Amino acid sequence: MGKFEHWHSPFEGQENLFSDALKAQPFTAQVNLRGNPDDGVFNGWVKDSLDLELPLEPNRISEGKGCKALWLGPDEWLVIGSDEGLASDLSSPPDGLHSAVTDVSANRVILELSGPHARDVLSKSCELDFHPRVFGTGMVVQTLLAKSQAIIEQVGGDRYHLYVRNSFARYVAEWLSDALLEFQ
Amino acid sequence: MLLIKCPWCGERPETEFHYGGEAHIERPENPEALSDEEWANFLFMRSNVKGLFRERWHHSNGCRRWFNVLRNTVSHDILAVYRMGEKPPVIEPAEENR
Repeated sequence: MGKFEHWHSPFEGQENLFSDALKAQPFTAQVNLRGNPDDGVFNGWVKDSLDLELPLEPNRISEGKGCKALWLGPDEWLVIGSDEGLASDLSSPPDGLHSAVTDVSANRVILELSGPHARDVLSKSCELDFHPRVFGTGMVVQTLLAKSQAIIEQVGGDRYHLYVRNSFARYVAEWLSDALLEFQ
Repeated sequence: MLLIKCPWCGERPETEFHYGGEAHIERPENPEALSDEEWANFLFMRSNVKGLFRERWHHSNGCRRWFNVLRNTVSHDILAVYRMGEKPPVIEPAEENR
C-alpha cells in the first residue's frame, strides 16, 4: 500500500470516538468519473476497464470486481476500490471520448455506522428518511449529515457507510459518537 | 421548510438546495451592441412577482444539477419542476389564482 503509507488519518489520537457502532474505515481508492451514460463508447470503456456496469438509476450503487460505483449525478459517479491503482485503470480513455477521471481518494474519509440504533442516529443527524420502506441496501444519497455534506450508503441490513469530507471528519465523528451515547 | 423535488434525486429538504433567482433570462445576442442601461437591465433587473414565479434552483448538496421550479411566491406551493432546457409547463388560470 505504497500510496497510503504516508497518509495521516484525521482521527489520529481520537480513537476514543469509536466503538462497535461507529468505526473508521481504512483509506480507500476513490475516483470521480464523469461521462455521458448514453454514449456506448463511454460505457464500453468503463466496463472493459473496471468490469462494472455504472448505475443509471439515481441513488443506486453497482458492484464490479474489486470496486463499486456510487451514483452521484446523471453523468457523475464515485468509483470506490480497494486497489490504490484504481485511477490508473481509467487513465487511457479512447481517443475523442468526452469524459473526466479525477482521483479523489484524499477527499473523503469513510465512517461505518452499524448496529440496531444506526438508523436512529442517522435520523437524529439528517433530514432524510432512511426507513426500509424508502431506503435500503445498495442505495446511496448525497445530503447533509449534521449540516456537513456527506454521502450515505447502506451497505447492509443495519450498516451504513458515511463518506465525509476529510476536514469535517472529526466533527462528524464527534457528533455521531455523541448521538450514540443515549443508546449505549 | 420547502420539500423540493429534484428531477433526478426526488424529494429533498430545502437545506440541500441553493436558490438561483429568476429563470429564463436570455443573454443578449450582441452584448456589445447594448446601451449601458440595457446591459444593466439584463444584469440586475429581475421581476418581483406575487404569484407564479419561474425560478432556478441548484441541488448543491446533492447531485449538483441546476433545474427550474415553478413556485407560487404567496403560498410557496411548488406547481412544477422541470429540467434545464425543458419548456415550462402551462398552468391553468385556476391554478394560477390559488
